[in-house]
Amino acid sequence: MNDHETAIPLGVRLRLGRAAVQTIADRAGVDILHIKGDAVEPELRPLRRAGTDIDVLVRPTHVAAMDRALRAYGWTVYSSFANGSPFGHAQTYAHGMWGYVDVHRLFPGIGLEPGDAFTRLWRNRHTMEFAGTPCPVPARTEQATVLALNAARGRSDSLQDLRHVWFDAAADDRSRIESLVAELDARIAFDAAIGQLDRHRGKRDYRLWKAVSENGTRVEEWRGRVAAAPTLRLRVLILLKAPMVNVEHLGHELGRVPSRREIAREFFARPVRGLREARAKRRRPWGR
Amino acid sequence: MGTLRVRTAPGVGVEVDAEVVYVAPLPDGPIMVLEGIAALIWTVSDGVERAAVAGFVAQATGEEVSAVRSHVDAFIDEMLDRRMLVQD
Repeated sequence: MNDHETAIPLGVRLRLGRAAVQTIADRAGVDILHIKGDAVEPELRPLRRAGTDIDVLVRPTHVAAMDRALRAYGWTVYSSFANGSPFGHAQTYAHGMWGYVDVHRLFPGIGLEPGDAFTRLWRNRHTMEFAGTPCPVPARTEQATVLALNAARGRSDSLQDLRHVWFDAAADDRSRIESLVAELDARIAFDAAIGQLDRHRGKRDYRLWKAVSENGTRVEEWRGRVAAAPTLRLRVLILLKAPMVNVEHLGHELGRVPSRREIAREFFARPVRGLREARAKRRRPWGR
Repeated sequence: MGTLRVRTAPGVGVEVDAEVVYVAPLPDGPIMVLEGIAALIWTVSDGVERAAVAGFVAQATGEEVSAVRSHVDAFIDEMLDRRMLVQD
């Protein structure tokens, strides 16, 4: 027997971490659903991968309570909602023992109001045990739909999931997914995942999903974000934010808090990098 | 004492992977790693009368009960002290 002397396998650490996060949520009276990674039913993920972090979807009205609870138990914010992704959907927390947890306040691609979407997913929830702790997870069709929507963001490791939960799925399963996609108002993201995004050409969200599903450049992504913003005020806010340096991200790349000089250098380097990406992409007409 | 049963304490997480048992008080940790005989004692003791644990360990290892009892008792006492196990 020893404490900390033996390397803990990542999968074990993540399963214990899920139990730890669930314990914190239970103590704080917070509703969470465990999603992705090893919270997916094995039959939906034959090539079972535990992932590298823990993902949970939190009832939107409980996000502030979850934030307070995680901080109280020693978790620190690694990247914030504002700087994490173009969808502002998740905040990542780090813990010396358990690693990382991505706390989702919404799931990208679901157009239904986040509170209603959570309630819909919560309604049919199942329970999966991690380290002996019961953890709520979405039901089977809901899990398959989340995996498909996750694949819409162009992650190479999620393409296998997509093939299994959609392209190789039985007609009944596909029909149930289609119904849920309609209920969740997730058609454009779902079509982006299955390669039918062009059916939505001209719609407000089209450019954003084009950029994220095809690994577009930062410039394309920002253009998509602006186009997808529902109000003029939000468009202005996004445009004002576009040239700002993501200090959190820069700090993670450097492994320390960046200096003012480094932030300034990054500020001027970003437009150049955007141009380089655009040029490189033009040279690769076959590239995604 | 003979009729007391040993079980995992409430709020303690347990994962087993490749014959290694990982035990952690939740939600803070730390993770305790139980290998070899320690993993065996943990595995056979959950929900079992404490007095019977040494017999199961002896059976699994081919040793005499008298040879393993003191080790088993020492391990269980330590786990009780650490609040990883309870007996009731």
